[in-house]
Amino acid sequence: MGNHAEGLMRKRKKAGPVEALGEGNFRINLTEDERTTLLSFVDQLEEVLAAEHSDPRLRRLFPVAYHQDPELDAEYQGYMRDELSQSRAGSIATVREVLQAPDDLSESQLYAFMMVLNSLRLVLGTLLGVSEDDDTDDIDDDDPSFGQAQLYGYLGWLLEWTVDTLSNG
Amino acid sequence: MPLTTELSLLPILPLASDTQVAEPQVDETTETDLPWIVLVWNDPINLMSYVSFVFQKLFGYSKEKADLLMIDVHEKGRAVVSSGTREHAEIDVFRLHEHGLWATMQKDS
Repeated sequence: MGNHAEGLMRKRKKAGPVEALGEGNFRINLTEDERTTLLSFVDQLEEVLAAEHSDPRLRRLFPVAYHQDPELDAEYQGYMRDELSQSRAGSIATVREVLQAPDDLSESQLYAFMMVLNSLRLVLGTLLGVSEDDDTDDIDDDDPSFGQAQLYGYLGWLLEWTVDTLSNG
Repeated sequence: MPLTTELSLLPILPLASDTQVAEPQVDETTETDLPWIVLVWNDPINLMSYVSFVFQKLFGYSKEKADLLMIDVHEKGRAVVSSGTREHAEIDVFRLHEHGLWATMQKDS
């Protein structure tokens, strides 16, 4: 993961990272560095998704559906889990394409970008043990999870821009 | 996560029934007439703006209604975001899970 998220953000020019161009077209203004970093995250997300069902990193990506009824939940997971995995794989494929090409994005491509950013935050947030009282901004730079916390902040910032652009674009 | 069944203590929120018409249920998996409700639980990771946006997209709620629901989730720990047949609720739960929200369903009581 590394801890160059701060550098990524500092290098940013004044324009926001996500921009509505009108007529259902969007642009992500990301540097090569950012694209490379995000691509490697996407690879890692794919690895996490392929992990054993019991892997704690998947807890937030595949939640319980019937919280009062384990039997019904097992049944539900039996037919929905694969579908959920396939849906995530589809978004990942779209995002990989988007990050590898400088082209403008359609709304559905930006939507997939948003969903993947959110999945990444869920995994990273789970790894960091983010809780309601935590503020990842407060993590000291000699803390071993400092780099991850910086990246978590970076992903949140990018997601906020994406949501904002989709809401108003 | 602490679970409770005292759902009747929850403030009853405007449900999806005003945007989604429940279809006649002939599926034998529905044993009673009680509709199912879909709950979204508070979590410390999802951004508030994201949660509200997802409610607008998935349920066609206005920004005002989605924001109120999102704030309810945040402050009360959970909110009922939709209701309907079991099939309908499963689809809503699935779509919420797809978006990374912490959603569960249960029979209304």
